[in-house]
Amino acid sequence: MKLAYYPGCVARSTGKEYDLSTRAVAQALGVELEEISDWNCCGATHCSNQDLAVALSARNLARTGLPVMTSCSICYSNLRDAAIRLQDRTLRDRVNRVLEVKYQGSTIKHVLEVIMEGLEGEEGGKRVVVPLGGLRVAPYYGCLLTRPKGGIDSPEQPQVLESLIRRLGGEPVEFPLKMLCCGGPIFMPQDGAASESVLRILRSARQAGAEAVVAVCPLCHLMLDAKQRLAEAKSGEELGLPVLYVTQLAGIALGLGPDELGLEMNSVSALEVAEEIYRRMSGEQQC
Amino acid sequence: MAETEAIGSGHHMTNQTGREFRDLAIRLAGDEVKTCIQCGTCSSSCSTAHLMDASIRKLVQLVLEGRKEEAMACESIWLCTSCLLCTVRCPRGIRPKAVVSALRQIFEQEGRRNKDQAFERLFMDQIKSCGRISEFMLSAVYPLKNPLSTVPIMEMGIELMPKGKIAWQISCIEGISEIRRIFEEMDSQ
Repeated sequence: MKLAYYPGCVARSTGKEYDLSTRAVAQALGVELEEISDWNCCGATHCSNQDLAVALSARNLARTGLPVMTSCSICYSNLRDAAIRLQDRTLRDRVNRVLEVKYQGSTIKHVLEVIMEGLEGEEGGKRVVVPLGGLRVAPYYGCLLTRPKGGIDSPEQPQVLESLIRRLGGEPVEFPLKMLCCGGPIFMPQDGAASESVLRILRSARQAGAEAVVAVCPLCHLMLDAKQRLAEAKSGEELGLPVLYVTQLAGIALGLGPDELGLEMNSVSALEVAEEIYRRMSGEQQC
Repeated sequence: MAETEAIGSGHHMTNQTGREFRDLAIRLAGDEVKTCIQCGTCSSSCSTAHLMDASIRKLVQLVLEGRKEEAMACESIWLCTSCLLCTVRCPRGIRPKAVVSALRQIFEQEGRRNKDQAFERLFMDQIKSCGRISEFMLSAVYPLKNPLSTVPIMEMGIELMPKGKIAWQISCIEGISEIRRIFEEMDSQ
């Protein structure tokens, strides 16, 4: 299978390990990725002119004839929202007047969807060579993976991450704040609000008995992982909860090595999670 | 007083500024905004409602009643994280998030300025000039607009730097003239 890949801006900086592990996991699943040429920023959550936001996404979508895959939930939501709004003939004509390559419709996938497809059936099951050994994982959805509705899963009661965790041999924990916004989009101007969200989410995951959190968006990850130690220092509580990208967690189970998944680039050690998984696997084999 | 009046019939609607504000906001956010029944599903779904001076429901009401200055003064406009839960749940198919976006747009078009609008502007200007976002540039320039953001941004930088996750170089895209045309066309109304 061949897919167009839209990395999004943070793939080159704060989300480097997400980009790295996305490419590694795609390869392990036999999915060929072709990066969209000369792609542009989708506007993230900062483009108040909604017609402009649609046009920015349309330029990216128009540059390939393949289904488009992205790992970022914000990009995914924006690309999907654009595809929905571009069904309106008037808006589509207006956008196409300025695009060099015209938009003619598109299919959009989140990397989570591609991983689920790759693990389907007996053949897919064989790909899990390092099962997670019952690792208790908190499925953190955040906001935009399932919104607007009509995407990968229900925006109210999503279960796709729980299914994935089970498929990989882990145990999803019941985690009441799995969809509470991390506050990332306003963290620069409104740092206090964002720090509070981070603490609430991680506390909820901790109380649910999680050994690790899985994230599907680089901004969520930045907030829960890179900001975790800062939040700990401010609140005086210890959280110490590793936050892995979905591609890192799936990558470990697919037998990929820490270097291929950028595990050393996480703030809260993701390497320790991998080591724990390896320990459990070798323990089981000895029994 | 206005609280007890039917939506859209407040005394603000008798003045021209109020009517123009209402019409523009509705045009930007979608005609369905007029069908709001003020049920408050949006506010009760909002992840930052507890921080807001006026709920999302109230913002919609202010728009429909043409109460421009009250709406423009709400900090709530800038506390929305665009999580879209209000938009998923609205029983009338309104996109309350789009109302927030419309208010942000009007705020800026009228030359009003604050620290939150400065961030949005910086972000969009970077796309317009380069085609992509450099988080490094955003982090370097934003504290000049909002000194209070300096410490949290620096703390984050110190966390990310040893991990090699700060991209110092800025690479612009080749199709930048097309991006400029997109901005020009979509900014014209």
